[in-house]
Amino acid sequence: MIDIKKYSTFSLTQPEKEVFLLERLNNLTEFHLENCPEYFSLISKFRVASSKAKNIADIPFIPVRLFKHIDLLSVPKNTVIKTMTSSGTSGQQISRIYLDKETSAFQVKILSKILSDFIGPKRLPMLTIDCKSIISNRKKFSARTAGVLGFSMFGRDVEFALDDDMSINFHRVTEFLEKYKDENILIFGFTSIIWRHFIEELERLEKKLNISNGILIHGGGWKQMELQSVTNEEYKKRILDTLNVKRVHNYYGMVEQTGSIFMECECGFLHASSFSDIIIRNPENFHLKGIKQNGLIQLLSVIPKSYPGHSLLSEDIGEIHGIDNCKCGRKGKYFKVYGRLKNAELRGCSDTYT
Amino acid sequence: MILIPKDIFSKLTFLIGGSNYISNSPSGVYNYLGVEFLAELSKNLLSQKDIRKYPDVATFAFWCRNSNLKKITHNPFNNNLRVGLGLVYHNSPSNVPVNFAFSLAFGILSGNSSVVRLSSKESESASFIVTALLELLNISKYIEMKKTICIIKFDRDDEVNKFWMSNADGRVIWGGDITVAKMRSYPCKPRSREIVFPDRFSLCVIKASKIIESSDSNLNKVCENLFNDIYIMDQQACSSPQLFNWVGNDSTIKKAKDRLWPLFLKYLQKKHSLEPVQYMNKYVDACINAIKNDNIKSINHENNVLFNIELSYFHEQQQLQRGYFGTVHEISIKNLNDLSLIIDDRCQTLTYFGFEVEELKNFITSNKLRGVDRIVPVGKSLDMGVIWDGYDIINHLSRTVDVY
Repeated sequence: MIDIKKYSTFSLTQPEKEVFLLERLNNLTEFHLENCPEYFSLISKFRVASSKAKNIADIPFIPVRLFKHIDLLSVPKNTVIKTMTSSGTSGQQISRIYLDKETSAFQVKILSKILSDFIGPKRLPMLTIDCKSIISNRKKFSARTAGVLGFSMFGRDVEFALDDDMSINFHRVTEFLEKYKDENILIFGFTSIIWRHFIEELERLEKKLNISNGILIHGGGWKQMELQSVTNEEYKKRILDTLNVKRVHNYYGMVEQTGSIFMECECGFLHASSFSDIIIRNPENFHLKGIKQNGLIQLLSVIPKSYPGHSLLSEDIGEIHGIDNCKCGRKGKYFKVYGRLKNAELRGCSDTYT
Repeated sequence: MILIPKDIFSKLTFLIGGSNYISNSPSGVYNYLGVEFLAELSKNLLSQKDIRKYPDVATFAFWCRNSNLKKITHNPFNNNLRVGLGLVYHNSPSNVPVNFAFSLAFGILSGNSSVVRLSSKESESASFIVTALLELLNISKYIEMKKTICIIKFDRDDEVNKFWMSNADGRVIWGGDITVAKMRSYPCKPRSREIVFPDRFSLCVIKASKIIESSDSNLNKVCENLFNDIYIMDQQACSSPQLFNWVGNDSTIKKAKDRLWPLFLKYLQKKHSLEPVQYMNKYVDACINAIKNDNIKSINHENNVLFNIELSYFHEQQQLQRGYFGTVHEISIKNLNDLSLIIDDRCQTLTYFGFEVEELKNFITSNKLRGVDRIVPVGKSLDMGVIWDGYDIINHLSRTVDVY
């Protein structure tokens, strides 16, 4: 495993970062080619670049949806300690991601590096906007479970704001806020759950909270928000109105690359850390797109070793806004995500009867 | 007349029709009113300014134009009297929406009343035709036609299916193996006839040497034909070619491919694009295919509009190795006869380039093949006709009264 302590999280310029990324990612490609027969078969049949890519754009990628169809792992099955699954909200098949000890530990390390850049190196009292039962089944990990558990490691005295029926437990919330009123606290939850079960609920009850000492981090996708036509700006504004929280950070990430998340900075852009990157591709031919051109997001991560997920082509549409020059001071690429590919009418060969 | 019982009636949504009676009195095959009705429908459809948006509707309209109907109905040698069966029930497919209209036209031409069940999937093409039909049926001279056409939708329901199956004199079942099996499970009239369209698999054969010999302008024509076969129905029709068989020796085939596919891709890039999600769907399908099937040698997709999947040998169940939206599975064979290995009764259309028709007929008979119901040049795979899937449909949906 690489010693990540040597690398700063957000201060490497893109060229500096790519030297490090390229070596690590090439090693991962080679490792997966040797250890995952399905990956080998796929890469060789598509006749794409070998494990000797000269540029991060030449690192072979596979579609993230593949994990929904095929079990892919590069370590013996008996070394798997955790299986993570995608949320599968749309009733579709779910992804299965197999983690061994090494990859699992690496996820925590990287996530910690990234988060500490936003909340500081110390653990903060953490208020989770979710119910406790979400973490009861420890062997099977949904994205929500993984998120809550993953972030809990960077908080302390974790409290849950919601009861199992997803209603707000005001007793617990006020007690928590009173107890930690003199220090920074971390508020964490899923974008849509915070919205529906906390913000909208507080608004309905005409209640406001004053958590000016809070840092709110949320992720899990904008799909639900988009359906309600809620923009990121609106989201932040309503959080400020009801909770008086000024520091709100969305993050972008996926269960297939847990750990190396992309955090939203103070200027409203998502940032790739030194341990991950994104590349924008044209859906029509997978050719590279330039800055300020939108296309499919390919995600690179140095983490995935127990499964071939270090280079994934997602179905999300995004746009790189710049490199190394975000006003927040962080180096590397900064970008925005605009949502999923629109699901066109699938005609399929299914018949009238079914 | 057949009375539709109240409990059945209440479950139906009528797009055309709506009376609780439907006629089951047959008319003559190719009766004047029916033919005139279809010709006028064709005219009306083709004169609409939106027709360009619906190439599938245009194909149907072009097919039932007056001059083509004349060709179909022209039969100088037969003195026998031919009349319809009575009532024909059509279960139409969702993968090719416009086929409901062909099915209805077959019903009209064969002198039958038709009840057509449309797929629950919304289709702009189908709505377009239904609107034109409605307009025409409101003209007073077609008042008799009105009693014989019923277009409905209903949620899957055993009672409704049972009702139609027990009253229909003929049934036309589109929709594949599962639907066919399901509809056959309902009891029907002792003398009822059926036309069924189960799952099929279609192929293309290309003589490599003929591609090399072709002039550039001829090859452009080949590209246009391949485009029609592959892209107009997104390879979802049962007659859409799935497996492309290159016939020749290895070096000739390589040369032929190197000539055809780049040209075809150029043609496509000028002419066609897909929804972004369809590119992704094709890509994911190809990846799964590559991992699961050892017979895949390589996959090329310079542009995602066209995926070329090269096979090193036939799959055990070749008919299941399918692709859509421009996914070409291709294999090299030395001789046409090598293909007989994978042809069984599920094989429907054989499109060809560079072969003589006699050669192909001989291939079917000398190998005693149980499959292949159509042999047509490239570009014609989707041309619907009154002979389809091995049936002479008009004959099958009518009775011949022997007269002398």
